[in-house]
Amino acid sequence: MSAKTSLLKVILLGDGGVGKSSLMNRYVTNKFDTHLFHTIGVEFLNKDLEVDGHMVTLQIWDTAGQERFRSLRTPFYRGSDCCLLTFSVDDSQSFLNMGNWKKEFIYYADVKEPEKFPFVVLGNKVDVTERQVSTEDARQWCQENGNYPYYETSAKDATNVAVAFEEAVRRVLAMEERTDHLIPTDTVNLHRKPRSATSCCS
Amino acid sequence: MAADTSPKVLFEQVGVFIHSNSGDDCIEQDLLVSGSIRIVDKDGEVHVEYRPLEDSVDPSNMLCAGKDSSSVMEWGQSPEERPHHGLEAQHSYETEWDIVNAVSFKKKTFSNGDGALNHSHERNRWAFTFSISDLRSITVKMDAWSYLFFKLKEASVSLPTLHFHQGGSTEFLDSLRRCALLSESPEDESCLLVSTANKALSQSFENLLEDNNFGLVHKLKKDPYVTTLGGFSKVTNYLFDAFRGTEEQQRRPPEEVADLLGEVIPGLEINQQEEPGFEVIIRIDLGVRPEVQRGEPLFTELWAEHQDTEGRILNVPHLKQVIFKGGLCHMLRKDVWKFLLGYFPWDSTLEERKALQRAKTDEYFRMKLQWKSVSEEQERRNSRLRDNRSLIEKDVNRTDRTNRFYEGIDNPGLVLLHDILMTYCMYDFDLGYVQGMSDLLSPLLYVMENEVDAFWCFVSFMDQMHQNFEEQMQGMKTQLVQLSSLLRLLDLNFWNYLESQDSGFLYFCFRWLLIRFKRELSFQDVLRLWEVMWTGLPCQNLHLLVCCAILDSEKHKIMEENYGFSEILKHVNELSMKLDIEEILRKSEAICLQIKGCKDLPHSVSDILGFNMDEVAAEAPRSEVMEPRKGSPAPSPSLTHREQAFSNGHGHLRESSQNGCKVSFVS
Repeated sequence: MSAKTSLLKVILLGDGGVGKSSLMNRYVTNKFDTHLFHTIGVEFLNKDLEVDGHMVTLQIWDTAGQERFRSLRTPFYRGSDCCLLTFSVDDSQSFLNMGNWKKEFIYYADVKEPEKFPFVVLGNKVDVTERQVSTEDARQWCQENGNYPYYETSAKDATNVAVAFEEAVRRVLAMEERTDHLIPTDTVNLHRKPRSATSCCS
Repeated sequence: MAADTSPKVLFEQVGVFIHSNSGDDCIEQDLLVSGSIRIVDKDGEVHVEYRPLEDSVDPSNMLCAGKDSSSVMEWGQSPEERPHHGLEAQHSYETEWDIVNAVSFKKKTFSNGDGALNHSHERNRWAFTFSISDLRSITVKMDAWSYLFFKLKEASVSLPTLHFHQGGSTEFLDSLRRCALLSESPEDESCLLVSTANKALSQSFENLLEDNNFGLVHKLKKDPYVTTLGGFSKVTNYLFDAFRGTEEQQRRPPEEVADLLGEVIPGLEINQQEEPGFEVIIRIDLGVRPEVQRGEPLFTELWAEHQDTEGRILNVPHLKQVIFKGGLCHMLRKDVWKFLLGYFPWDSTLEERKALQRAKTDEYFRMKLQWKSVSEEQERRNSRLRDNRSLIEKDVNRTDRTNRFYEGIDNPGLVLLHDILMTYCMYDFDLGYVQGMSDLLSPLLYVMENEVDAFWCFVSFMDQMHQNFEEQMQGMKTQLVQLSSLLRLLDLNFWNYLESQDSGFLYFCFRWLLIRFKRELSFQDVLRLWEVMWTGLPCQNLHLLVCCAILDSEKHKIMEENYGFSEILKHVNELSMKLDIEEILRKSEAICLQIKGCKDLPHSVSDILGFNMDEVAAEAPRSEVMEPRKGSPAPSPSLTHREQAFSNGHGHLRESSQNGCKVSFVS
């Protein structure tokens, strides 16, 4: 396993203006551009990294946040390995909307077992002094919604950005390892019924 | 459930041979594999199967191309033989998954299985099957017998050439034509390109019925193929449930995304299926693309010459022609854009325009006051207004901030941008603010340097762009469908390539179309492109030809590099700010002339570009069309004022057509 490079697709979701594109750019290019345009349509960037001995190509997808564009955004949710739910700590509305983003993702990504899907929550813009969302509230939300890892990030000063993306990778790899045990890729086991194999882990 | 129906054999031919370990025409008898070929309908999915004769094949050993993932077993026997395909380690892993896919698929379709055990693995390994939807092309060669070479969409997979020693290849192809379109490749007559109905068709069928634009629906309704499509999606879901692993996901999501986009953008599939099932697509000879020259921008002197003493604009068609060819010098933009956008009527006098501006100024500030006077308390109870304001505030801070007009903190340009967008919400509350609108406004405000004028020019521009931003984004869907038609006409090969990469929905043109290339070009080039587009020359929907021109320059790279779904999107996104506007405009005009010169142009294409309007005008000339063209470089016959007005179909342009009529009368 460790010799292979896996391609992992992660998707950044959250209200417009919370800093999805900035987080992606900070992580991939280590730059921050205050003049960055708001995203129209769909974009993505790749980044190669090594996590715990695994070579990974992380494909980070970034979408336009406005409701109107939903129908052309949601098809791209398919095949995501991880979802980064993003809000801005200086925008309480963006925090309140996280539940909707999660729902939208689960529905359109066609996630079969939502309770097991790896979400990571990012509270961005911690460099801003006027906070509207407290760390405690954010942590509580994460705990209540599925015990998601929570990171307070700043794309502007690079706080916690790499850590958060790496955590996303770890979550996905952990999921996969579990899956690997369940459906061995050994040809001997090909005739095993995959459905029952999945259910025996719970 | 669909899985319970047994496969239906549509065609069978024995005496079909594989000459293994050979080039196509070198035969080594000891490695001749004899077998039969079948076309089989399994749960509505058409497959081609090859089975060696001697063996009663255990299906679980068959090499299978699962349509769901276009994943196919490698034909090559050792990993070294595999064509280069990215990371080797990853590749072998995929192969394992392919076996898994194949087996599960078999379980499903051969539930009543032939069951016989066999031990002849040496022979058995030659068996293969693939879905015709995974088939890219068939090359037909004749020797003492005919032999066929199948090429799948998954380029890394090669299948052995099948030799029809006992005939039957023609019948085989005829049978296949009932399930797919086979069209001769332009480069190679012996190569038949295969296209099949889209999987998403059945799902998007309901949507299609609501749309009168696509009259072909009824044809499709009768086509039995459509009804068979539903069954397959179940297989997809089954596999999806069963094997949710990363390796498998690397291949599957693009196709899924494409399917979903197909539901969002109904109509694209129809385009490819004008004669579903049976007709070979006839290639239209487009002829040579002409060379086109660009001209000089319109300068102040010429503009001044085209005004009478009271300020009416004279010989508008000529002016438009000059603007189309070279754009405007920057000084003139502030004046001329108002006419081009329809804010000012061309035949208005200076006095009339002053009066108009006064009235429009009052109207603007009345609307501005409406949102300005909303109290915090009121706004708290008005979520629509609140949401609009919040979005506008965020986007204004992220629009053209490197432009001197909008840079820095507390730049007055930002306040104006904000206020105009808020006032537009009052002007059109149903639409409200939609992302992308700030991009359309920014150049207008930059040129007008005046809040009121910029607002009304924006209103005119939004009249053209409105549908792009509506709830159902109908404008976007229509444009994507139209663009698909044009691309297919211009280069079937490239169009087929995009299809094969699940990119036929042209989602990568979304940003181009939504905001008319605003993010693709430098600010100054956007100004040039837009003023050229607003002339309505040389045909309607020039922006679609601009898309074609850009893609025409990129298609070789895209195909040579064998870009897939994601890479195409990435490549196109990264073209931003690297495009040459003059080159693009030259090419767009050349493409327009090329299409126009084409004889057997499909009606759908003539409609998109508004060529049919010419015929109508030519057949029934009316006085307003006969506008004098004093000494102007003869514009093409189609470029009469009236037609442009018709072709755009927007209120303000219709208005200008009447004005055009008056101008002709006056002059």
